[in-house]
Amino acid sequence: MNASEPALIRVENLVKRFPGVVALDDVSLEIRAGEVLALTGENGSGKSTLSKIVGGLYQPDGGRILVDGVERRLANPHAALEHGIVLISQELTLAPTLTVAENVLLGRLPRRGGAVDWPETRRRAAEVLAELGVHIDVERRVDSLSVELQQEVEIARAISTRARLLILDEATSSLSEGATLRLLDIVAGLSARGVAVLMITHRMPEIYASCSRAVVLRDGALAGEAPLPATAEHELVRMMVGRELLDYYGSRVAAPAGVVLEVEGLHTADGALQPVAFEVRAGEVLGVAGLVGSGKAELAMALGGAIPARGDVRVGGRPLRLGSPRRAIAAGIGYVPDDRRREALLPPRSVAENISFAWLGTITRFGFVRVAAERRDVAKVVADYGVKTSSLDKRITLLSGGNQQKAILGRTFARGCPVYVLNEPTRGVDVGSKSAIYGYIQALAEKGAAVVLISSELPELIGLSDRVAVFHHGGIRAVVSGDDLTEEVLGAYAVSGTRPGDHPSVVISTDTPTSADTPTSAVAGAGRTR
Amino acid sequence: MNQSTAERTDVKAAPPARRPVLSRIAAATGPATGAIAGIVILTVILALTQPVFLTWGNITNLVGANSVTLVLALGATFVLLAGGLDLSIVAASAATGMVFGLMLQSGADALPAIAVTLLAGLVFGLLNGVLTSYARIPFLVVTLGTASLFASIALLLNDGKTINVFDFPGFAFVNDFVLGQAFGIPFILMFDIVLVVITAVVLRYTKFGRGIYAVGSNAEAARLNGINVRLTTMLVYVIVGFTAALASLVQVGRLAGAAPTFDATLLLTVIAAVLIGGTAYTGGEGGVGGTVLGVLFLGVIQNGLTLTSVSSFWRGAVNGIVLILAVALGVARQYGWLRFGRKGR
Repeated sequence: MNASEPALIRVENLVKRFPGVVALDDVSLEIRAGEVLALTGENGSGKSTLSKIVGGLYQPDGGRILVDGVERRLANPHAALEHGIVLISQELTLAPTLTVAENVLLGRLPRRGGAVDWPETRRRAAEVLAELGVHIDVERRVDSLSVELQQEVEIARAISTRARLLILDEATSSLSEGATLRLLDIVAGLSARGVAVLMITHRMPEIYASCSRAVVLRDGALAGEAPLPATAEHELVRMMVGRELLDYYGSRVAAPAGVVLEVEGLHTADGALQPVAFEVRAGEVLGVAGLVGSGKAELAMALGGAIPARGDVRVGGRPLRLGSPRRAIAAGIGYVPDDRRREALLPPRSVAENISFAWLGTITRFGFVRVAAERRDVAKVVADYGVKTSSLDKRITLLSGGNQQKAILGRTFARGCPVYVLNEPTRGVDVGSKSAIYGYIQALAEKGAAVVLISSELPELIGLSDRVAVFHHGGIRAVVSGDDLTEEVLGAYAVSGTRPGDHPSVVISTDTPTSADTPTSAVAGAGRTR
Repeated sequence: MNQSTAERTDVKAAPPARRPVLSRIAAATGPATGAIAGIVILTVILALTQPVFLTWGNITNLVGANSVTLVLALGATFVLLAGGLDLSIVAASAATGMVFGLMLQSGADALPAIAVTLLAGLVFGLLNGVLTSYARIPFLVVTLGTASLFASIALLLNDGKTINVFDFPGFAFVNDFVLGQAFGIPFILMFDIVLVVITAVVLRYTKFGRGIYAVGSNAEAARLNGINVRLTTMLVYVIVGFTAALASLVQVGRLAGAAPTFDATLLLTVIAAVLIGGTAYTGGEGGVGGTVLGVLFLGVIQNGLTLTSVSSFWRGAVNGIVLILAVALGVARQYGWLRFGRKGR
């Protein structure tokens, strides 16, 4: 790296204010060509604001941006694109009714004699997708794809432009392990070609696998900068949260009692979930692992009544009629879905209503809401589960992802159910909130609940579960406990359905420095996508 | 991502401290701020230039002239909050009005005639409700279709002829109610107030009302948390049918006749009033208070046009412009003034 050469992008003393909040306070950093830089911090620390300023979506209130040493004003995303800056954010920006090919080359469709050259469009789109290792029909409409595949189309579009700086804002948060791994390979490839990548993530393994440097933000200000992989993980986490996170997963006095949840022959008609059988005892956490499409999500939805399913499910000995969330709730199953925005939040409503609407059956008398009781119970959830909000009447969407999730978990936990089915309860949540959520799950089990924890983060499953059921191709391939509860064993079953060693081609990446009390997450093996 | 420090303040379990009255009003009517500002400005202008405007006679006239709109708009508020829309509301009202007219013509007493009319409204609403919620046909398609159907029913019931109900024995009660007053306060104003209070209480303090907000905000989240989404949706359309019938009683009472045709712009006025009042067309946000303001605003505009002898042809243009401005104001409030880029959906 030539030090005298100006950095590709340099931001100096950036300040950004929103009504009542300073989102960025005097932040400076630089990115050089070919560098992969991690930008990390808790939710609400200003990472996304910074990336949106560099991507041209927001204008800073102070400070300046230099591209190749020359001060530039990035008035909009198009201006940023002209300097080779491409932002891929959590929010998808695809045209849902157009085809994959049209979306990949949106705004840059190849032409011949004035008309769009469709064969060329399809060929080029397929080429870019193949480069990503994704095999989807480029003629399909984007809205017919899973969210995960949509994300890949978005990434394909970005890399098909001549990007000099690629900003990935939580781009992996909705990807499977396999797709994530492929994306990280692509990042490495782009970096080798001189493209700079700014990765915004709080997934430690990704940071350690790809980045040579991490910049940490906290409360809108620069909390520190660390060379990688030289800096230990707990050191990085300490920078993010501003304190030492001891006992990351928490603990409980394990005393599983009688069987509360009995499942036999549970399956869905479309075959996504093939007949499975298991039992969960009171005070026990059963982890559920598996790749995307393995059937683990369908198991969660079937138990929660979200999708039609068949089979024999008993809660406390009583048979449950499947296929209705209302009956599942009445039977004592507290279900938390994985997609917060689509399945759990009421975006236009307040924090209070987002919590209390889940209790409409119990906080009403003769059809009327008992307002005082509602207020009191909501305040108790907010206090008990550490939901940070300036007011109960604030719109829920103004809270950070971690606080939204705490409110959702809190409203469900407050029901006092004998069984909880938690589908990816820490998705899109920062490390501090994650640790808090782990503590709440431990407390649930200690109080005698039977918990089914579905997660794609293996360390989380290992840290919390008594046993882990591993899904592969729609069914449970193994139930792992005790000394076998390692990422290697779980990863092998998840990828191939067999034990490690039985399948020599399975490679698990564990070359990141880890310590017992810090988070790591699963980037296991080459997976498949739906 | 950009409100970190605001969230750092922990909430105490105690209820929030009392805020000044003005800011409480502003918070409660937030999205309807445009309507309030419009009403205030118009009132000041009209009060200064038109001496008639602030007379009690003009005010009671204004209330009477807008009661039909208000009743229909209260129903429309329910359906918009639930994330739907009912295009058949005015046609249903015309059809139930004809039912009322026929009942009176047959010599029925006021109460049975009213009961049958309301029942007809419930049936019309039930039809919309079942088709949208249980048959899962998109609400625009259903209510566009039933609007046409109800309009036809209105014509067929009396062969397209208006029924002059003034001389029928059952009409006296309705007429007295719609045009009468006690202590100088028109009954119709009391009726409006009672109806507004009932609908406001239902929406804010009942299980059903909270369910409507939940369904309109996120139907899947509502379903997963045990709310009967289909039943809620269906009942919302039944309520709209009921308010359509109520409005037809007021209309027949005012005109002393049941007409099989109706003012096509009334539907637009009703929906515009709800939207101007800050109820989101995407559902889940808004309420009855805003709707009252929306109706009042459009009513004052109409009244002002009449008082200043502006051609009634202008009414549609003014309503349309006001609607767009009011909703634009709401969008600007939500996304920040003149700021590009989105702060989350």
